Amino acid sequence: MKPGGRLKLVSGVRDLQIVDRDGRKCGIADDLEFAGKPGGPLTIKAILVGPGAYSGRLARWAMWLVRRFAGTRIVRIPWSDLRGIDSMIHLSRTAEELGLTSAEKRAARILPRRGAL
Amino acid sequence: MRIGEVFLGILTAVGGFVDISELVFGAQAGSRFGFALIWVFAFATIGIMVFGEMSGRVAAIAKQPVFNLMRHRLGLKMGLVTLIASLASNLITCAAEIGGMALVLHLLTGAPVSLLAVASTLALIASVWVLPFKWIERSYGLLGLFMIVFAVAVVAIHPPWAQVASAAIPNIPAGLTSSELLTYAYFVVAIVSAVMFPYETYFYSSGGIEDKWTEKDLGVNRLTTLVGFGLGSLLAISILVSAAQLFGPLHIDPQMPGTVALEAAIPFGKAGLLLALLGMLFAISGAAVETCLANAYSVSQFFGWEWGRYKKPWEAPRFTLAWLAVFVTGLALVLTGIDPLTLVEYAVVFSILVLPLTYLPLLLLAGDRTYMHSHANGPVAKILGWSFYAIIVLAALAALPLFVMTSGGQL
Repeated sequence: MKPGGRLKLVSGVRDLQIVDRDGRKCGIADDLEFAGKPGGPLTIKAILVGPGAYSGRLARWAMWLVRRFAGTRIVRIPWSDLRGIDSMIHLSRTAEELGLTSAEKRAARILPRRGAL
Repeated sequence: MRIGEVFLGILTAVGGFVDISELVFGAQAGSRFGFALIWVFAFATIGIMVFGEMSGRVAAIAKQPVFNLMRHRLGLKMGLVTLIASLASNLITCAAEIGGMALVLHLLTGAPVSLLAVASTLALIASVWVLPFKWIERSYGLLGLFMIVFAVAVVAIHPPWAQVASAAIPNIPAGLTSSELLTYAYFVVAIVSAVMFPYETYFYSSGGIEDKWTEKDLGVNRLTTLVGFGLGSLLAISILVSAAQLFGPLHIDPQMPGTVALEAAIPFGKAGLLLALLGMLFAISGAAVETCLANAYSVSQFFGWEWGRYKKPWEAPRFTLAWLAVFVTGLALVLTGIDPLTLVEYAVVFSILVLPLTYLPLLLLAGDRTYMHSHANGPVAKILGWSFYAIIVLAALAALPLFVMTSGGQL
């Protein structure tokens, strides 16, 4: 499906795996950001990725736990950067360019880079 | 289809089928109720074949492992509940397997159990760090084939085959008191749980993605689940049959892994004992790796991280930290001094509670033509899937009351 095609937006896109231009897994579509006015057309602005985007989807106490342990980081992926949607969301740019690799990089710093076949 | 690959895949599934809970519950079931519980192993094996095949098919066609699509299907809230419940269940199971490894190694070396638990965990971590997925899967699975000694041992002690075969039909032994009936029911639920542990489908479907399965691998998937799981289950049934023949008449309750190993030692002496202990060690080690990786897969897929041991550990860093954390936490649980066999009991009871949450999304996904196209569940898979699902739900509802009423099967 192309980004401009018809689809059930929230149920079709939310909570799908996101992969970047190089096929690298770089998060889940945690929520969507819309733009529009009452009476006017509604358009999708961005896909939101990160624990901050859980707000409104979880109970208050659960959100308090998420904030405490995972933070409130949100990365916005402009809708125009989508290449297509099937069982995953495919991006037309790299995860690096979209700022989706910071947590992965922090984790990689802890690990030795040797010893594996 | 590559015949060598298929054969190797089947052997791996056979060697990887049995874990500590099947060893413990299989032997105890035989000792207490003779052959009467064989049908439960046979029945639950059909269940794991059905759901295993589905999870492999979803991996091959939707190119997505179960947990990924599960979150999309169930949403964040319900997905989180499922994630937390399966993480807890798999963690307890992983701890039970580490404890089981330490107990078997204690029998082989005589060294203290806690020291051996640390050594076992370090060895597991080293193997998962060093070896790529295919090697991990194959080496533990193939080494687990030492367990075949239990099947050979059964043949050697000449059980009454007609009685063994007739016990494959559901039955309740006559003359049980009401407390014995409750214990029998507890064993039914525990065996269903032990054979259908939730980690098995997570590991199997993620393994399919690690091995880059496509539509062409659907045949391999079907053969592995049918033949591999079927033959693996025969090993578990062999343990039950030997226990019924050797321990039951003497009123021995084979709670310790060492007692189970005697099933091979009685007909084959020292060599049988050694082979049985090695088989148990490798089968339990393989299950420890599978439970640990199942947790790392689940959490990584839920949050959309890079995952897989076909990558170098530092190329999927959060996935690597996740499996390292599971091994270390599992070891910590063992080092608290909880008896590994108590952990097995908890793992079995907790897992059956999680099973309905695990298998519902899988059933929905495997039947969804949006993802599965022409490979969505057909009428047979649908009927089998939903029938087993209903039974799992009943077993889950009965598990906790039975556990409490029978003091964990001790009545």
